[in-house]
Amino acid sequence: MADKRTAGPGADTPSVLSIRSLQKSFGSLRVLEDISLSVERGSVVSIIGPSGSGKSTLLRCASFLEHAEGGDILYDGQYALKDGVYAHKSELNRFRTRFGLVFQNFQLFPHYSVLRNISEAPILHGENKEEVRERAYGLLKKMGLEGKETAYPYQLSGGQQQRVAIARALCMRPEILYFDEPTSALDPELTGEVLKVIRQLAEEKMTMVVVTHEMPFAKAVSNRVIFMADGVIVEQGDPIEVFENPREERTRQFLRVFER
Amino acid sequence: MSLTTMIIKMSEGLTRTCAIFFLTLIFSLPLGMVVALLRMSKVKIVSAVTRFIITVLRGTPLMLQLLAVTYGPYYLFGATVARNKLIPVVIAFSINYAAYFAEIYRGGIESIPIGQYEAAEVLGYTKVQTFMRIILPQVIKRIMPSVTNEVVTLVKDTSMAFTVSYQEMFTIGKQIANSQTSFTPFLVAGVFYYIFNVIVDYVMGRIEKRLDYYK
Repeated sequence: MADKRTAGPGADTPSVLSIRSLQKSFGSLRVLEDISLSVERGSVVSIIGPSGSGKSTLLRCASFLEHAEGGDILYDGQYALKDGVYAHKSELNRFRTRFGLVFQNFQLFPHYSVLRNISEAPILHGENKEEVRERAYGLLKKMGLEGKETAYPYQLSGGQQQRVAIARALCMRPEILYFDEPTSALDPELTGEVLKVIRQLAEEKMTMVVVTHEMPFAKAVSNRVIFMADGVIVEQGDPIEVFENPREERTRQFLRVFER
Repeated sequence: MSLTTMIIKMSEGLTRTCAIFFLTLIFSLPLGMVVALLRMSKVKIVSAVTRFIITVLRGTPLMLQLLAVTYGPYYLFGATVARNKLIPVVIAFSINYAAYFAEIYRGGIESIPIGQYEAAEVLGYTKVQTFMRIILPQVIKRIMPSVTNEVVTLVKDTSMAFTVSYQEMFTIGKQIANSQTSFTPFLVAGVFYYIFNVIVDYVMGRIEKRLDYYK
């Protein structure tokens, strides 16, 4: 599938993430059926689709929270999962440092201050404490959360908490950032501030995969949109094409709901 | 016998009461965590056996367990009964309380959202780091009220050591009551336990307050 925006320099270097023929079932229920996709460095891929379509499961497989039964997962051309067999535990740990995940429900650590939430993991990985702190302060500033370092999560609004969660993921310096419905748990008036920082990251060419129900956002920010239903990728391509001129009836049906 | 003499005699037993109380806590609080983790083991046989042991310990009287630990070895193997009864008493109490604490811990651990584990996993925390840094601190905060309940009960339960004639405060009181045909020692014992628990309540309250910096 030709994609103008992701082609060009870097197109021959391996994708940050490649997934091939991924299979996943919960018991007898097949949740992911032969999913293949790749994410090029600096691009933003949005995954849309009805609930239960497997979007979140796909992200959770890519971040090793779910165990896939078949297919390949590659980071920078290296196999984390090959033909349904996972790499050794220590290797998976190394792969884990390549991606970050932002959850729908933030999942900040409630007993840690904002600063500790953001900085503890890199420090545990052996990074210099001062450097990490400095980076954390920088990220907080970028997230519009200056002065919140000593606050505890319960003292923050949902939108602020989610921005802390984004800062926490970024502080690990991931090559790719996953968002699992980052605004679905937020009050409508707070989604804007979270989408704004994601948009800012897109402008800075952060590689991202965003599972979202925010259609205008997906259309505006993505280099590529993937529409999933019933565990398969129904359609993918340029956001303008997918949103304005979908090829598949299933996609049209889904998008019609949002037009009202 | 004057009231003052009674109080003095019974106070002498308070050291032993405190010994049961503190030693039981020192052993049963960590032991309870071990039992809780065994109870939650993914190995079915381990969790089933642990579960059975817990139901026995919680389903039979502590008094019976005290007698079993103290005199069981004599009846079973003809071993001499320990001269210092503190040892069997503390063993029986610790095992019994560990069973209760284990169930409290388990409830606390299971109440932590799975997302906390997942967030830690994605950030590269090891299993031990996740438990010690992320899960356990939140568990401790959540279970404090239940633990306080058990500790208050333990203060009163120490009186059960009289069944094996361990000379703690209540046992002494009971002996005085028998010899003097007086009810007063029981009133004195009641006041002692009450004061003890006022202190326990205060201390536990302080700990809970210190954990109040987050929600």
